[in-house]
Amino acid sequence: MAIVVTGSRPAHRFTRRLGPNLILLAATVFFIAPLLSMARFALQSVPVISLGWSTLFKRWSWGAMTEAFHEPMFGSTLTLSLKLAVGTVFLTLLLLLPTALFVHLRLPRARSLVEFLTVLPYVVPPIAIVAGVAGLFRPNARWFVNSNYSLIPFYVVLALPFTYRAIDAGIRAIDVRTLVDASRSLGAGWATTLRRVLIPNLSSAVVSSSFLTAAVVLGEFTIANTLSKRTFPTFTLEYAQKSSQGGMALALLTLVASTALLGLFTVFIRRRARQRGAVVVVNAAESQA
Amino acid sequence: MTTATTAAVEGGRTVRAAPRIRRRLSWLGLVPFLAFLLVFLLLPTYGFVRKAFLDVHDHFTWTGMSDAVSKNRTAFRQSIQLSVLTAFLGAVLGTLLAYAAATAKRPRWLRSLVSAFSGVAANMGGVVLAFAFISLLGAQGLGTKILKTIGFDLYGGRFQLFSFAGIATVYMYFQIPLMVLVTLPAIDGLKESWREASANLGGTTWTYWRRVGLPVLMPSMLGGFMLLFANAFSAYATAFALNAGANLVPVKISYYLQGDISGKSPMPFALATWMIIFMALSMGAYFLLRRRAERWRSS
Repeated sequence: MAIVVTGSRPAHRFTRRLGPNLILLAATVFFIAPLLSMARFALQSVPVISLGWSTLFKRWSWGAMTEAFHEPMFGSTLTLSLKLAVGTVFLTLLLLLPTALFVHLRLPRARSLVEFLTVLPYVVPPIAIVAGVAGLFRPNARWFVNSNYSLIPFYVVLALPFTYRAIDAGIRAIDVRTLVDASRSLGAGWATTLRRVLIPNLSSAVVSSSFLTAAVVLGEFTIANTLSKRTFPTFTLEYAQKSSQGGMALALLTLVASTALLGLFTVFIRRRARQRGAVVVVNAAESQA
Repeated sequence: MTTATTAAVEGGRTVRAAPRIRRRLSWLGLVPFLAFLLVFLLLPTYGFVRKAFLDVHDHFTWTGMSDAVSKNRTAFRQSIQLSVLTAFLGAVLGTLLAYAAATAKRPRWLRSLVSAFSGVAANMGGVVLAFAFISLLGAQGLGTKILKTIGFDLYGGRFQLFSFAGIATVYMYFQIPLMVLVTLPAIDGLKESWREASANLGGTTWTYWRRVGLPVLMPSMLGGFMLLFANAFSAYATAFALNAGANLVPVKISYYLQGDISGKSPMPFALATWMIIFMALSMGAYFLLRRRAERWRSS
């Protein structure tokens, strides 16, 4: 039956693959070129005007980056962003792990409600959340908004759609009910079951959702900027006004760090829930773009 | 069915006598999660929607909402144009790229590389992305210079990186990969046997795409378009980092919020309310279309 098709294939192959190959080539250029040119700008102190074959290999150095490291705000903004990332990761796990397990074990009826709630942040994007913060918390709880750490719960909300799905996929990939029943019938209480059976089995889901959360927090700009918080991304933009090369160097640093985090996320999620994982990464752009 | 099994298991273990009360009580386990969302998502949302409909004397009014549009007509027009344009181009180019990657057989790692990179690039945005493009296509950019040496003057016309065309170009960097992530599963769902069946019935490649391929992909593509629209419409960081004065709805919301600390003017809240109306419509359409798209995948 398939002979007709296979028979005509060799003659067609080259021309039929020509289009897709051109698309792949163009995509490679479009997606790689900005990153390479940013790296060059950050690491080579030769203005584009005088760039040519003769100057191509001259004056490459880490100078702009190390100079940025000595900026007084560098340390404090980076520390704040890292603290926010750690805080967001912990609050996310503290909130979502018990909830997701509870929904699976005791309240499957609530699953669609919980899933609906976790995708709500798509409808209320960061720029709208920050309007809510300004409208509700600024007049009523000034002390809360004044604290830098007030960003943490909102970052938990931002990351919610994909952190919940990452944890949920991890739970679905193991047979939670059997594990719990086995553990309980051997005499373990709920705390022991959670600590010695469930969490070890869910470690890769926990780790992968943590990487994803951290990457989201390290790149978040909308809420921090509108509330005038000095996190690493807002500092990067500010510093670029002073030294454009230094700004590029910091952006390069952020890029490498968050790509590494997301790369690790992808590796972990693949390992645990092969096909399901792909769905989780979709839409992650909402929070940062 | 799941519910029945669970209830049976639990009933067998403990109090068989009062399963209904137990079941009622089990909702208590969701309290921390629901309370958290209430305080940090639902109440803030209610807070700004309420403010959008109140005047200075706390009376209900529509003027806040209508003023938001009439005083920011350009911002709405530009935001919608930008979102429609980048969503359309993103949907088309993203589907083509996903198809090219999914059907490529030679380097076996190509497909997983494209999908992994899309996961990263769809997350890119804000300061990093803006800077990368400034270094490439800014007036003093490397790409601008290379184009000039081969005879194409990017800045010969009206192109500016911080104007409409420039921002749209930068948005493509996260729109295309997002579309790849959306359509890749749908393209995998196209079965080789359908193509063979079409060929056996005398169909050409064109017939196959027009009568089989595209109709099957269409729900995913339309859904992807809605998702990309929402994604571009709500994007703030990238546009702001390229041009702090960009006349786009998200940038305007932030501008009014920073300008008016007193929180008396309904302007930013009305704009944010319009924002979530747009989001609810496009994301709602996306979820409906996605459900429709999954129909071909399970069989």
